[in-house]
Amino acid sequence: MAMGSSRALLILSNFKFKTTASSSSSSKPFFPFKTNLGTRNFSTKIRSSLQPPDLPRLAETARISLAPNEVEEFAPKIRQVIDWFGQLQAVDLDNVEPALRADTEGDNLREDVPETFENTEALIASVPSYEEPYILVPKVLNKE
Amino acid sequence: MTVGRLFECQSFILSQFSLLCSDKERVFHVYDFISEVKNHRNVVLYCSMKSSQTQTATQEKQQPPKVKVPQHALKRTVDKFTRDYEAIIGIETHVQLSTLTKAFCSCPYNYGSQPNTSICPICMGLPGALPVLNSKMIEFAVKLGLALNCKLSLNSKFDRKQYFYPDLPKGYQISQFDIPIATGGYIDLDIPLEFGGGHKKFGITRVHMEEDAGKLLHSGNGAQVDLNRAGVPLLEIVSEPDMRTGIEAAEYAAELQRVVRYLGISNGNMQEGSLRCDVNVSIRPIGQLEFGTKVEIKNLNSFSSINRAIDFEISRQAQLHSQGQGDHIVQETRLWEEGAQKTVTMRKKEGLSDYRYFPEPDLPEVILTQEYVDSIHKSLPELPEMKRRRYENMGLSMQDVLFLANDMNVAEYFDATLSSGADLKLAANWIMGDIAAYMKNEKLSINEIKLTPKELGELIASIKGGTISGKIGKEILFELLAKGGTVKGLIEEKDLIQINDPVEIGKMIDKVISENPKQLEQYRGGKTKLQGFFAGQVMKLSKGKANPGLLNKILLEKLNAKS
Repeated sequence: MAMGSSRALLILSNFKFKTTASSSSSSKPFFPFKTNLGTRNFSTKIRSSLQPPDLPRLAETARISLAPNEVEEFAPKIRQVIDWFGQLQAVDLDNVEPALRADTEGDNLREDVPETFENTEALIASVPSYEEPYILVPKVLNKE
Repeated sequence: MTVGRLFECQSFILSQFSLLCSDKERVFHVYDFISEVKNHRNVVLYCSMKSSQTQTATQEKQQPPKVKVPQHALKRTVDKFTRDYEAIIGIETHVQLSTLTKAFCSCPYNYGSQPNTSICPICMGLPGALPVLNSKMIEFAVKLGLALNCKLSLNSKFDRKQYFYPDLPKGYQISQFDIPIATGGYIDLDIPLEFGGGHKKFGITRVHMEEDAGKLLHSGNGAQVDLNRAGVPLLEIVSEPDMRTGIEAAEYAAELQRVVRYLGISNGNMQEGSLRCDVNVSIRPIGQLEFGTKVEIKNLNSFSSINRAIDFEISRQAQLHSQGQGDHIVQETRLWEEGAQKTVTMRKKEGLSDYRYFPEPDLPEVILTQEYVDSIHKSLPELPEMKRRRYENMGLSMQDVLFLANDMNVAEYFDATLSSGADLKLAANWIMGDIAAYMKNEKLSINEIKLTPKELGELIASIKGGTISGKIGKEILFELLAKGGTVKGLIEEKDLIQINDPVEIGKMIDKVISENPKQLEQYRGGKTKLQGFFAGQVMKLSKGKANPGLLNKILLEKLNAKS
């Protein structure tokens, strides 16, 4: 559970925007969370028709805890991220066949041949709470 | 007996009656019976329900239900249930594939191994690990899709189904959401004779590939996780809501088990968890197009639990309707409690879960060529349905057909026996009778008995041709099953050849008659039953080898001759 939220944090905190020629001149790295860099100057004013996300719900599903002031602060920033992607809405898709996926490579398949991972001790050692032979976890009542 | 228990018992009776009455006419006879019963002051029926964990629905023996019931309550529920409502049942089945490695990594999977020994960074979902698809998984998925008469998607993809739970290492399950590998199929099956018989066809909505989660065991204030099972390949089969009774649902599950075993893609053991079924049950007034509120039932560990849980749930819902409390039926997940024989609320569904599906970026598209699909199609074995139809066309009774086609190994044995030229009906009888009994006693599978199909054919031919008598045949069968050997060899070794020569038999009869003058007189005096005595003596003299038919014919002649 902690892993999912830390992944999200990593992604968001490392997000850098390369803006297109038609929009703002800002080339500063974009940090949606409080950083020491101070200035948050957003000259991109792109509004798309995409629905703004319900931030509290989004945070809940991603298991990221946000204080109310953080919700207020981040909502417009996340809105801007989405609107930035919203530029894609302008593309005319009338004559384009929907693709299942965005890759061009074919399958990358593996033969059904067993291989035991040698260093399972290291894997177990990295588990925070382990009582031979089980991984210990707190009680969770509901799935999702 | 509590009221709750009464209702359970009466709904059990109802379900049995409704199952036995497969058409409307006979249902009305049930009503007549019930109203007759109503007229008696003390109707005492005792309830006894046996729960037994056996492999297929066909092997279940239903106990005649007996319950102590107030007449008016019984009649009310019978009316409402049988006349007004029909049940709509759909089943989601997860089949654990018997590949050597997991779906996305090369870890082996062995049921019952020491926890957390078959793990690696990929199936543990550690940062940086990437999934690589097992080619066998695709092969098994295509096999099943074809066997279930589905349309295969030559292009499909994997998606992430995201939710948080301790047994799900990555925080998402790699599955297939909107483009499954197979859709729109059906399955044919035959309902066992003891439940009414008949041929049924149920739709299959889709089949898709996904990975299993680890195992979570609750203990004290926390829980324990074993990741051996995390990443094991699964095929999820979703049926159309075509089933109408617990028996149909149980037989559907049994047929899926038969199919995956025939295909060799899974051992389909409900007890081991390699075949898991969740059922969805709703009821609606007959004639109504809209479905009623759907209730999901989990924790079904055998075909008979599927049957009983559904029947219980149908009557629970019917009862609520009949009491005007139809709105008490809510969309929820209930657990089947084997001990109490009832379903209980697990949790109320608070809206549909949002799994935030999106295409799995770490896996490429799954592309099948028509040639690949065709080559797999050619390699499919004869499936249970085809076998049943072939056996039926050969002239076997439905009972024989269902038995012989149930286990793929038994069917193979039977086919091999026939190919050595044996008589159809005799071969079926031997396998279903004495051989099956032996297997059951010694707890052996048909692959483990020492009697080969060829020798069985030889045995049948020897009896049919008169070389040995039927009785002798049964005797040497046991030795052949236990120790093997050849029929010809045993016949020679034990000097078992039947005596078919009338002259020789005549001589033996003469001897016996001359040695038993008193019985002869009694016979001639009217005690014709003594024929049996003489026949027995001749058999003894011939060491069991005299041809019984000939013996009796000649004996009768001789006994009735000199008078």
